[in-house]
Amino acid sequence: MHGLLDPILLSRLQFAATTLFHILWPVLTIGLSLFLVLMEALWLRTGDADYYRHARFWARLFILNFGVGVATGLPLEFEFGTNWAPFASAAGSFFGNILGFEGAMAFMLEAGFLGIMMFGWNRVPRAMHLFATVMVAFGGTLSAFWIMDANSWMQTPTGGHMANGRFIIDSYLAAIWNPDFLWAFLHMWFACLETSLFVIGGIAAWYLLKGRDTAFFLKCFRWVVIIAMVVTPLQIYFGDANGKDVFAYQPAKGAALEGHWVTNAPGEPASWAIVAWPDQSTQQNDWEIRIPGVLSWLATGTSGGQVKGLKDFAPADQPPLLPVLFYGFRAMAGIGFALFLLMAWSVVAWARGTLVTNRWLLRAWVASIPLGYIAVDLGWTVREVGRQPWVIYGIMRTADGASRLPVAAVGYTLLGYLVAYVILGIAFVVFALRIIARGPDLTVPLPEFAAPRHQPREGHRDPSAQPEA
Amino acid sequence: MDPLHFFLVNVWLCFIGLFLVLYVVLDGFDLGIGVLSLFAGREERREIMMASLGSVWDANESWLVVLGGALFGAFPLAYAIILNALYLPLVTMLFALIFRAVAFEFRVHARNKRGWGLAFGLGSLMAAVCQGFTLGGLIGGVAVENGQFAGGALEWLTPFSAFAALGVVFGYVLLGATYLILKTEGPHQARARKQAWLAFALMLAAAAIVSIWTPLRFPVIAQRWFAAETFYLFAVPPLFALLCSAMLARALIRRQESAPLLWSIGIFLASALGLAASFYPYIVPRAVTAFDAAADNLTLAFMMVGIGLLVPTMLVYNAYQYLVFRGKVSGSYGEG
Repeated sequence: MHGLLDPILLSRLQFAATTLFHILWPVLTIGLSLFLVLMEALWLRTGDADYYRHARFWARLFILNFGVGVATGLPLEFEFGTNWAPFASAAGSFFGNILGFEGAMAFMLEAGFLGIMMFGWNRVPRAMHLFATVMVAFGGTLSAFWIMDANSWMQTPTGGHMANGRFIIDSYLAAIWNPDFLWAFLHMWFACLETSLFVIGGIAAWYLLKGRDTAFFLKCFRWVVIIAMVVTPLQIYFGDANGKDVFAYQPAKGAALEGHWVTNAPGEPASWAIVAWPDQSTQQNDWEIRIPGVLSWLATGTSGGQVKGLKDFAPADQPPLLPVLFYGFRAMAGIGFALFLLMAWSVVAWARGTLVTNRWLLRAWVASIPLGYIAVDLGWTVREVGRQPWVIYGIMRTADGASRLPVAAVGYTLLGYLVAYVILGIAFVVFALRIIARGPDLTVPLPEFAAPRHQPREGHRDPSAQPEA
Repeated sequence: MDPLHFFLVNVWLCFIGLFLVLYVVLDGFDLGIGVLSLFAGREERREIMMASLGSVWDANESWLVVLGGALFGAFPLAYAIILNALYLPLVTMLFALIFRAVAFEFRVHARNKRGWGLAFGLGSLMAAVCQGFTLGGLIGGVAVENGQFAGGALEWLTPFSAFAALGVVFGYVLLGATYLILKTEGPHQARARKQAWLAFALMLAAAAIVSIWTPLRFPVIAQRWFAAETFYLFAVPPLFALLCSAMLARALIRRQESAPLLWSIGIFLASALGLAASFYPYIVPRAVTAFDAAADNLTLAFMMVGIGLLVPTMLVYNAYQYLVFRGKVSGSYGEG
């Protein structure tokens, strides 16, 4: 490392910046698209036009968010080649293949039906429109499936072997269903659902606080609370299951997350540092408060399970930035519990009939809007920094996977991304607040679809193509 | 060579070619309209131009993602070398595409519509220029040693690639203008027809320079094109391009609505054929063949199932989206 003049460090910073920024958008795309399916289906099933208007209102926020998500996602697919060329050529036959699946199966599906979902209300029958909305939502979830698969393979690369510097696949089944995949995917997918729920619920709570369209927003707020009753506890469970996999398959990462230096002797339960300051230079915690026996439970689910300590790994094989891992992990988990408690509080208030009148509860919902995003970025930081010093865990070191690039080239593009993303972030918030301030259009007429044979032919003005809203 | 490998590699070259042509044609008219929007003059006209893309720009751009993923999986070495070598034009293109894409959604809500309209137009222009430099840099050649890019960061920046960039920009503008002929009417259509003529003439000039310069600069390509025994075969792409150009001129003169776009696409197909004929079996021109860059048979076969078999479905729902929004555009875009 030569400070900021090291092109590898710059490539890593660029990847971290572009990923941490990009992931904020698909999180809402995935969750909100499923919510749009729910609203549209409820409208078609109950005939209640309010659900249709909900679909139209939230779709405005959806498309604003979607545009930023697509735009900021493009660099990620190309960065593997531009900044990580040796990694790309070594891992391409699996990793690139899976990214290709994501593009062809998921990304394209989402895009191929997005136009109909957004602008096609008067141009296709209702059932076809619902199908388009379902395809957009399904594309988003399938996208998460493949991206998490590619990433989990970097964490636990099974199903093949290295030959002549290339990863050769022996079993696709073993590579796709690598040990980390299932829980990691569920944990991420639920993170999307949970973040979206608290964004939708938080915005609805803001309208309830202001007394704007109370009956309208109560409809979706109740749905949010009901779904959160399922999502928030399950997410804690998936997080725990994902964590146990980390200790089983990436023991150095697990030990780093918990500031755990010395492997516990057989039969002696490992104690858990609830707070500590792990110090790489001295290979111990500068200070700590430990609770006996707890770490064996957390890491292995048994009372005396062995938990490998960081000292079992040479310092060169230990993850860096230990305090970031230690506290990032705790903050993420803390947010998970906080959202669970907010859900529980809301259920109690609902049972007492104070869901709309309890102003502190509604304020808590508004305040919780950013929490899911923060947890997602913390989770990814922990997951990726914890994988270091490997780009493919145990197979290829990050430093060996980086492209040969001049410092100036990466420096300028990194700077460019930072500037661009600050502008995008600010502009997005401004426009999102404008959409919210404007509120839903409760007078928008229901869609009317004229059968195609009655539609005017090409060359004539099509009245149904008038701008809506 | 293993006949199965030979077959799979060639199939994947065809898929890559298909995705490349789909991307270049579809996002080409998309980017071309973006460039034309810089000359829209009034916001009302820019509004109509952007409205003609509202329902399709995202799907058009998605072909780039499909292309990138397919190249990464099927030809990892080519993906790594090309992207590493063309770092600056490609990352600049991504910046441009970012601003162009968000401008679509942001402009709807913005008070300063001109600002985001400008971001849309300049982003489109920059993306097209960068794609042209990428093409020129690739034809110009990429230094490779031991399976890694071994050149400098600015080697793509040559007068030759500058002409390739001009050709790509004018070609995209031609596609954009002919698409606008199809999607607009009245004065907007008349203006698009004039712009199509201008872009057509400029593109022909740039293409002629690049086509003459390429064999002069690269004797290997000249040998291949002018070899006596295959001369007639190699005459097909340029003749097809001439035919399309003549038919395009005829369609513009006759004020046809959809034919200009189709013949413009024909010119792009002819160019793609010409490139393939110049470089096959190389995937990084003169440096790495498709066979050296390809993944193993298992991956190529698995990708055939996961992506190849899906291609017809992708084409159908993309075509359906165009069908749903057929006809002239009117009014504004943006849902609310």
